[in-house]
Amino acid sequence: MASVTPAFRPFAARARGTTIAIVLTFALVSTASSAVSIWMTGRSKNRATVIQIASRQRMLAERYIGDVLLVRAGRQADPVGTGKALSQSAHALLDGGLAPAVNGDDDETTLPAESDPLVRGQLQQEMRLVNDLTRAGSAYLAGRPIAHLPETGSEKIQTNDPVQRLRVLAALTSNISLNAARTIATGADQDISDLILLQVGLGIGGLLLSLLLAWALIAATRRQTAHFRSLVTSSTDLVLVFGRGGCRYVSQSVISLLGRSESDLLGGGFVRYVHEDDREAVEAAQRDGRPQELVFRVLTVVGEWRDLEAHLTDLSGDRHVRGIVMNARDITERVRLEQELTRQAQRDNFGTQLVEALEMADEEDAAYDVVELAMVEVEASSPMELLLSDSSRAQLERAAASPTAGPPGCPVQSPFSCVAVRRGNPVVFETSRALNACPHLRGRPSGACSAACVPVTFMGRALGVLHATSPDGKPLSPEQVGQLTTLATQAGARIGTVRAFQKTQLQAATDGLTGLINRRTLETRVRELMGAHTPFALVLADLDRFKQLNDTHGHEAGDRALRLFSQVVHSIVRTEDIVARIGGEEFVIILPGLDEMQAVTVLERLRVALGTSHAGDHPAFTASFGVSDSSHGSTLEEILRVADQGLYVSKQTGRDRVTIGKLEPGVRNGHISNGNGDNRAVLQPEIASGGRPALHSASDEIEPRASGVEIR
Amino acid sequence: MSADPRFVRSRPSRRTLSCALSLAGATAVVAISAGCGDQLGAGGGGATVVQVTERDFRISAPKRLPAGDVALRVHNNGPGSHELIVVRLPDRGLPFRADGLTINEDAVAKVEAGALEPAHAGAVRTLRLHLTPGRYVLLCNMYGHYLGGMHTTVVVS
Repeated sequence: MASVTPAFRPFAARARGTTIAIVLTFALVSTASSAVSIWMTGRSKNRATVIQIASRQRMLAERYIGDVLLVRAGRQADPVGTGKALSQSAHALLDGGLAPAVNGDDDETTLPAESDPLVRGQLQQEMRLVNDLTRAGSAYLAGRPIAHLPETGSEKIQTNDPVQRLRVLAALTSNISLNAARTIATGADQDISDLILLQVGLGIGGLLLSLLLAWALIAATRRQTAHFRSLVTSSTDLVLVFGRGGCRYVSQSVISLLGRSESDLLGGGFVRYVHEDDREAVEAAQRDGRPQELVFRVLTVVGEWRDLEAHLTDLSGDRHVRGIVMNARDITERVRLEQELTRQAQRDNFGTQLVEALEMADEEDAAYDVVELAMVEVEASSPMELLLSDSSRAQLERAAASPTAGPPGCPVQSPFSCVAVRRGNPVVFETSRALNACPHLRGRPSGACSAACVPVTFMGRALGVLHATSPDGKPLSPEQVGQLTTLATQAGARIGTVRAFQKTQLQAATDGLTGLINRRTLETRVRELMGAHTPFALVLADLDRFKQLNDTHGHEAGDRALRLFSQVVHSIVRTEDIVARIGGEEFVIILPGLDEMQAVTVLERLRVALGTSHAGDHPAFTASFGVSDSSHGSTLEEILRVADQGLYVSKQTGRDRVTIGKLEPGVRNGHISNGNGDNRAVLQPEIASGGRPALHSASDEIEPRASGVEIR
Repeated sequence: MSADPRFVRSRPSRRTLSCALSLAGATAVVAISAGCGDQLGAGGGGATVVQVTERDFRISAPKRLPAGDVALRVHNNGPGSHELIVVRLPDRGLPFRADGLTINEDAVAKVEAGALEPAHAGAVRTLRLHLTPGRYVLLCNMYGHYLGGMHTTVVVS
């Protein structure tokens, strides 16, 4: 049979059965003892009377024979009455009934029937002898012979003398009466002895049984206590009991956790080690049992604070405890984790918000605004600034500063002279007075300070530094430095991105050489003007003999000519005018709000300006122009085609002039302006439809005029 | 109970005598330790065991006994209490006391072979004797019992 390990049940009410058994045993023993006593006492109740009557029989037997002899001697006596009393008493003793009163002696007495067989035998013998005696007495008194009277008591009296026979009979009666009385008395004694013995036996038996049960109860209780102790002592749960006079019990776990002795903790000891911020609550709890749930800190012997989460149970009404029980758990690790998570979440939240805000900043200035707001978020009271290098990366300039605390004013000049930038890592200076503090922190008007410097980079390139100061000796917390690092990283990424984007956009929209917009951008701008129904004049310009210039003087000279041309154009036109370089030496000028004729006026000024700018080391050059306006078409292409026709005419007719393009079939005329300033319309040569040569090649193939510009 | 000399038999001399007799017999080894034959257990220890019965008012015993060590198993069949005295019958018979009802035990002390104190009905006792040939009387000398019929004669040979 497999043995089943009994379950561990520390809470089972195991001693109940034993307790009940003890109580039952006591009840049973007491009941038995009482019952036996009552029974025995009842039995012994009439013993004294019975013994007295039984003993009286001796006296009556003696008196009877005395009476008989007295009467025979002629004296006064009552042998008949005595004999009757003797006989009645013997009967009453045997079967119960009334024992008669005897003269000068006691009253009538009622006796119970005798039950003891031995006594009954003796009493029956007594009855027989009394009968024999009284019969012999009567016969003797009557003068009859008595020797032959029946001897019912088995006596064989060996004398024939009547008086002697009477004496023997009286002696036998007396003797058996004494025997009976003695047996009754001995029986009563024996009964009492038995009772005492029985009571003692019951008492000892009950006591032994109770002791056995009590031992079992103690063993069970001890086992249960051991179970509980094992639970309490091996448990990491902390158990304390508070009552009047402070702490009354601390479990082993409390002693282990705090590393303090039990005597140190009992009384007012425990509360002494509770954190002063929590002490009031703990004192209230141990006094009133409220609040029931409590979290507090307590100091261990090694000076470490432990966080405890306690549950209180008011058992002051429980007479076994009479106190307030505190069950506590060490939740230090949990609290630390929670705090760490909270910090992490805050940092994450800060980082997330920062990234979102920076995403919305599409320009550097907007990004700086975000940085300033973030500075306040990190620490409003700390002076902070964002120092960024310019495009040359040689000079650090303040891009943003804390709106609340202002800039700390770091005098650092170049990124390379900043230690944080050099190291590429955040640097924290606890005090500017330290030997190893950054020299830029010393000698500031605000005095000594703590500082944190975080490099701002983009794609590994240093952009600048984020610098914050705080009161001397009180540096920003690691969390705040962490936030600043996040800020520097995200701001650097955004600023770098914005800068790169702007640069790319600029590169895509403009011509690298002249800074003018390119053809694509031009198309966009023209579409905008057309969309807004703004009328404009369009000029197509082409440098004269540019190929020759390049060939003769090199590309440097050509580039210089292109730049000079664009500068001159810019100096002439208004700010709202659009100048674009759409090809090698071809330019388009859009003059919003002007018509062809007004454009020609502007171009004349330009031509003159070009002429004066030939001075200096620039090779002299001229340009030809074709003019159109927005009335000639709904697309840039259409308008440009008209202007191109004008330019063609200008080139054909000797260059360095302005021609208003016409694209009506059969009629090709243009307004021509020559270097001499005389403006006249010239008849354009017939151009076969579709046979117009490309602009570049056409201009290059045209022979320079005799009066043309001299090119150096 | 009061010590009425007529009913309460207080005879220390008899006990001593009985002891002496037993010792003289030198057969009842156990008798010494068992309280001088008064309350011996069963067993005759080599002696002749003889059944003796007492009742109101008669003693039944064999008429003849062998000489030497004899163990009398005395049964009291009651209903009254009875004693047993064994006396070598003097030539001139047993003398009475002055009351005319009881035998004068002091007068026959020298010829008394042994005695048992009065006992209740139901008692069974053993009386160890060393008997020499002759006539012996077994009697109960309680008040009136001798004359009431409680005596018998035994011949030891």
